[in-house]
Amino acid sequence: MHRLYLVPTLLINVVIIFIPAVLTIALAFYRWDGIGMPVFIGLANFRQLLTDRVFWMALGNNVIWTAIFLTVPIAMGLLAATMMLVARRGSAFFQVVYFLPMVIATAITARVWQGMIYSPLTGIAGLVTRAGFPVPNPLTQPSTALYGIAVVDLWHWWGFLCVIFFAALRQVPQEQIEAARIEGASFWQMLRYVLLPGIRPTITLMMIMTIIWSFLVFDFVYILTQGGPAFSSEVLSTLAYRSAFYDLAVGKAAAVAVVISLFGLATTAVYIRLQAKEFDQ
Amino acid sequence: MDRRTFLAGSLGASLVPLMSRLAFAAGKPVSWWYESAAPAQQEAIAKVLVGGFNAGHPDYSLAVDYRGSELDKQMRVALLSGNGPDVVYTAGPSYVAPMARAGQLLALDDYADKLGWNTRVLPVFLEMGKYDGKLFAVPKTYETLGLFYNKAVLEKNGWKAPTTIAELEALADEALKAKLVPFASGNAGWRGNNEHYVTIAFNSIAGPENVYKALKGEIPWTAEPFVAAINKLNDWWQKGYFGPDYFSLETEQFFAQMAAGRSPMLPSGTWHFQYIQSYFKENADQCGFVGFPSADGLGGPVYALGVGSTLSIAAASQNPDGAAAAIDYVFSPEFYGAMNSVWQGEWNTPLVDLSMVKISDAVPALYAETMKTLADSVAKNQYGYTSWTFLPPATDTQLINGIEEVWLGRSTIPDYLAQIDATFQQEKADGKVPAVPAR
Repeated sequence: MHRLYLVPTLLINVVIIFIPAVLTIALAFYRWDGIGMPVFIGLANFRQLLTDRVFWMALGNNVIWTAIFLTVPIAMGLLAATMMLVARRGSAFFQVVYFLPMVIATAITARVWQGMIYSPLTGIAGLVTRAGFPVPNPLTQPSTALYGIAVVDLWHWWGFLCVIFFAALRQVPQEQIEAARIEGASFWQMLRYVLLPGIRPTITLMMIMTIIWSFLVFDFVYILTQGGPAFSSEVLSTLAYRSAFYDLAVGKAAAVAVVISLFGLATTAVYIRLQAKEFDQ
Repeated sequence: MDRRTFLAGSLGASLVPLMSRLAFAAGKPVSWWYESAAPAQQEAIAKVLVGGFNAGHPDYSLAVDYRGSELDKQMRVALLSGNGPDVVYTAGPSYVAPMARAGQLLALDDYADKLGWNTRVLPVFLEMGKYDGKLFAVPKTYETLGLFYNKAVLEKNGWKAPTTIAELEALADEALKAKLVPFASGNAGWRGNNEHYVTIAFNSIAGPENVYKALKGEIPWTAEPFVAAINKLNDWWQKGYFGPDYFSLETEQFFAQMAAGRSPMLPSGTWHFQYIQSYFKENADQCGFVGFPSADGLGGPVYALGVGSTLSIAAASQNPDGAAAAIDYVFSPEFYGAMNSVWQGEWNTPLVDLSMVKISDAVPALYAETMKTLADSVAKNQYGYTSWTFLPPATDTQLINGIEEVWLGRSTIPDYLAQIDATFQQEKADGKVPAVPAR
């Protein structure tokens, strides 16, 4: 009888996750323009991806993106959270300030950075340039476009991590912190030997989620550069979107989506293994 | 007043607005999904299109629903599921063939005969809307590319509007020396702007005959005329004609740049006529427009023909006659005059005879003159081909994105054209190339 409680969530999962997922996987083996009848072509879409240099560029950009988000915002978030824990005064204020970018819609954040910060005409970059210190718009240079977008996403994201880590740090037993203080531990020793080990499960979960989210990144890239200039900021999700809705190659888009999902699945498998190990211990 | 009287009175009063609504909406409904439109444009649609149609067609009640820039995706999903509006608005002829092949559109041949579209609409556009010998779409508007220029900037510097490529390059070089950006341009808001310049290069340098042959599959896109055309376009980019902020500027920003005198020229499409009054204000007559200069041997300017949107009737429509009546209304001289008086460049329906059209005196005469020149060129079969109208979707995407790689030195011109050709041949084999009328 108690299994009946599973039915509502199971039903929702089947309808909005399982069926679309199965259909997407199936479509990866078809040629379909999104309008007429799909034609089965076996692995041709995947073979096409293997020889598509834009696909490899997009995959490379996703890897770079993952590397950036596994390090910079996590380091910033941990540092700020620890400092808030050590110096409690004003921590509530800083939590709100750090978290604020997270509650602004991504489209608005992106447009603000595009128009009010990076733009050579209406932004701070233009103001500085007109004052005699040339600042190029990073979104317009192939060598900097991806990093220009990453800065916007970092600004939006790191505060969220900071608040999560701060919440986790507050769960670290106070006796351990006090003991470390009495033993004369420095700030870095406290961080290294007491606080980080205390919140390791949270850090692991955030890192796993960062990897999954990094392979799903779409909104900031699409709004700020649409993957350009010259594919320099193309990521797998913008490639899938362009294939499906501009090239009318829904099968190829589905194949890209399957590749994205494979990375997510592999990361999830690693996480489950880690969790299982922790339980064993 | 007792309670019963109060309730009866209140009920009666609450029904008054409903009754007027019922009376207004007595006609059989006709639905039309439209893309995004600014408030002033929505007002024009409400007044001229919806108001004008409903007043003249009491049997029908037209309603326009704004679906934003994702309209074409929503439309595809809706039609696939057997739903959607009566009037099907597509993003261009390349979308019509797959929809017609899938049986989602109604053949319009009977309506064309009955309502006289065959004599009122320029024949070349009826050809473009055909699939398998049947008419499935008519253009909502057509456009061309040319060269806008700021007369005051030209006069101040003693320059003349160019008529040849050599004159254009001389003027652009002079502009660079004067610290101006020769071409007001940008693609920050719409990356597709890249294709306007590739289309200009293909038609005004390689020539429309070669483009026609490539579209028909008689020559590849890697042929020498196209190499020369992209080579020239790349030269212009490398010399700085497009300016340092190309990837930062949105459409209205670069139009404002020309209006403010920071650029002498703006190579783009006739849809920009809608911005003249906003940015030149009382100096609207200071904005000039000429056909884009063409290479030696091509004669006068080549007017590349573009259709940015088409109108069809859904096969599943509950009111096809009403939808046909709405489309027919759009093809009337009254509608053309009224709509183009308040909104230029987006409702240039391809009428054969523009002599009955009356456009407001407030609209710059240049607009009506340009549209007449374009209509005459089309009637004489002297026109070129825009990429967004005549290329299949993936080829067009390759053309748009690949040119940035050429400009930024990440790809060579032969590689760029080879990728366009490979994608085109694949789509041609798949039957995705839109109809190309015979020259």
